[in-house]
Amino acid sequence: MPTPRGPRPRSVQKRAPLLAADKLTFLLALVPFVVDRGRVTVAEVAEHFDVEPAQIRDAVELIAVSGVPGETSTYQYEDLFDIDWDAFENDDEIVITNLVAIDDSPRFSAREAAALIAGLQYLAALPENTDAAALVSLTRKLAAGASGEPSQLGVETAAGDATLALIRRAVARGVQLELDYVTSAGASERRRVDPLRVESVDESWYLRGWCHLREAVRTFRLDRMSDVVVTDEPIGHDAADVPLPDVLFEASDDDLVVTIDVAASAMPLIADYVAAGASLEERDGVVRTTVRMSHYHGLKRLVASMPGAVAVVAPEDARRAVAEWAAAGAARYR
Amino acid sequence: MASDDRPAQRVPVEERLFSLVLALLATETGLTKSEILSTVQGYRQSFRAGGDNANLERKFERDKDDIRELGVPLETVADPGDPGNNQALRYRIPRGAYELPDDVTFTPEEITLLDLAARVWREGSLSSESRRALLKLRALGVATDEPVIGYAPRVRVRDAAFEPLSTALERRQWVRFDYLKPGESAARERHVAPLALVQFEGRWHLSAEEAGTGAIKTYLLRRIVSRVTTTGKTTTTPLTGQQEAALAGLEEIWRNGVARVRVEPGTDAATRLARRRGAAAQPDGTLELHFVDAAILADELAGFGPEVVVLEPSELATAVRERLERTVADHADA
Repeated sequence: MPTPRGPRPRSVQKRAPLLAADKLTFLLALVPFVVDRGRVTVAEVAEHFDVEPAQIRDAVELIAVSGVPGETSTYQYEDLFDIDWDAFENDDEIVITNLVAIDDSPRFSAREAAALIAGLQYLAALPENTDAAALVSLTRKLAAGASGEPSQLGVETAAGDATLALIRRAVARGVQLELDYVTSAGASERRRVDPLRVESVDESWYLRGWCHLREAVRTFRLDRMSDVVVTDEPIGHDAADVPLPDVLFEASDDDLVVTIDVAASAMPLIADYVAAGASLEERDGVVRTTVRMSHYHGLKRLVASMPGAVAVVAPEDARRAVAEWAAAGAARYR
Repeated sequence: MASDDRPAQRVPVEERLFSLVLALLATETGLTKSEILSTVQGYRQSFRAGGDNANLERKFERDKDDIRELGVPLETVADPGDPGNNQALRYRIPRGAYELPDDVTFTPEEITLLDLAARVWREGSLSSESRRALLKLRALGVATDEPVIGYAPRVRVRDAAFEPLSTALERRQWVRFDYLKPGESAARERHVAPLALVQFEGRWHLSAEEAGTGAIKTYLLRRIVSRVTTTGKTTTTPLTGQQEAALAGLEEIWRNGVARVRVEPGTDAATRLARRRGAAAQPDGTLELHFVDAAILADELAGFGPEVVVLEPSELATAVRERLERTVADHADA
C-alpha cells in the first residue's frame, strides 16, 4: 500500500528551542553534511535539518572560528575551520574551505538509539510496517551505530487492527469513511467522516476527522467503531484546511465544568481532562480542581474507573450521575 | 583564534564543548587536563598559570559528563610510567569509536520510518534524545522521503519515577523506592537494580533485580509512591535481552490471566471490550478477557458501571463490586 506523503505540517509542529547539548549535536552533524554536499544554501540546510535559518547561520559563524589548539597551542590559522565568507555573506551559501578534526557523522548515544528502537517497536504493527525483517535489520543498524549498548527500553507493539488498515486506505485515497460509532452515552449512530489523521496515545488509537453529521472536527476512538466502510466519495475537508490542534479533546463552550477531588498521585491519569487554567490546590495529598466534559456520560465512566482516587464535589447533578451509575453497576452483583 | 581574548563567560557553552570535542579528536596521544584547561577555547580564557583552577576543573568534569551523555566516547588513558597519578591522565576521543561505522547506512524509507519513531516521544528526556538522534541521522545527508502524513502516534511517559529510573538504568545504579502493592495497606521500601523499562498495555513497568534474593521482579511505575533514590552501588548484571524478556514475561502473565464477563449488547462496554486484544466471544454469549493485573482490570471494568458483569474469577467480581460500592459511598450524600 503506498504511503501518502505531503509537506511537513510546520504550522502545527512548533520547533522547540535548541539546548546547549542540541546545539553541540547540531554542530557535529552540520559539518559532515556540508562537507559531503560541497556547497549548500542555508535554506536547504534549514529544510533538511528542520532547524530555523537563523540558528544555522549562528552555527556556521561559530564553526568558522573554531578549531584545535594545534602544535603551537594557539589556534593558528591552519588549525581553524574556514568557510567561503563571500558565498556565505552574499549568497547565503555554506562552503567549508578548511576542515579540522571531524569529517564523519557522530554515533548515536546508547539512549538515543534506545529511544528510536522503542519507537520502532511501538510502530511495528502499523499497516505500513508489515515487513518484520526490515524492522529487525533497522534495529540492528541503530544498535551498531550507537556508542554503547542501547538501554533496555521497550514498548509493546500496538495492536494491529483491521480498522486501522481500512482507515489508512481511506486517508491514502482521500475518500470518506462510513462507520457505526457508539458514543459514551451508549447511542450508536451511522457516521460519514472525512478522515484527517490517525493518532494514538499508548495503546489507544483515535481517528481525527470531519464529521458530516456534526459538521465539525471530531475525535473517534477506533475501539468504538464498527462496520467501517471505505466509500468512493472524495473528502470535502482535508488536513490542510482543517487545523488540528495537538490536544485530542478540545474544550467547547457547551462543556460542563465539574469540580473534583483527586488523589495527588492520580493527577497524571486525568491530566487530559483538567480544564485549562484550572486551580490545582493541594491539601493533604488531595488536589481540588475542575475538569471539562461534554456530558455526564463521560464523567461517570471516568470517575467510576478511579474508585477512591477521584470524587466529584460539584455540581450536585454530576455527583448524582456518578452515584447512580456506580449503584446500578453494584446492583448487578446482588 | 590566537588573538581571541574574550572573557571566558563570553564563550558560549556549545562553543567550549565543540572546541573540546575537536581538540580531543585531533590528538592521538591524548591531552592532559592541564593542557586542555590552558589551551582549549572556552577554558583557556579563565586559566591561571600556576594559580588555583578548581572552578575550571569542575567545569571540565561536568563537560566531560555532558559530552559522554551525547554518545561521544571520551576516553581516559593512564600514563604507563605513572599509572596512579591523576594529573598525568590523558583524555582523547578515538576516531573509530566516535564516527558512525561506514556500513551503517540508511535508505530514505528507513529515515522516514525513524522520523515517525522519534515523534512517538513528545515529553521528557526521550523526546530530547530522539531529537538529537534525528540531527545525527540528518548528518548522513540521505534525501528523505516526504514525511508520512496522517499519523500522530504518541507514547506517554508520565510516571514521575520514569526519569530517575531511566537514568539509574543507564548508569547501572541500585535504587530504593516505596512500592504500594494492591491489597496492602502500606507501601513497602524496595531495593533493586533496574534491568529494563517497558510499556505494556499502556502502562510502564520496571523489571529489576531484587537486592538479597537476586530475583527478577516486575514493578508497575504507577505504584511507586515515593521518590526514587540511588544508593551509590552499581550492578554488572548483563542487560542484553532484558527488555525482550520483560515484555515476554508480561505477555505470559497476560495470557494466563483470564476473566469471563457478560456485557450488555449495544453498549459502550460491548463494543470496546470485544475489541480488546485477545478478547474472545464464547458460545454462551459471554466474553473472555486477558489481563496482567486484576486490580487494574477491576478499575477499568468498574468504569463501565452496569454495562458489564464479571462472572469469573470470583475475586475479580468481588473487586469490581467493592470498587463500585466505594464510588457510591464517596458520592453518597448526593
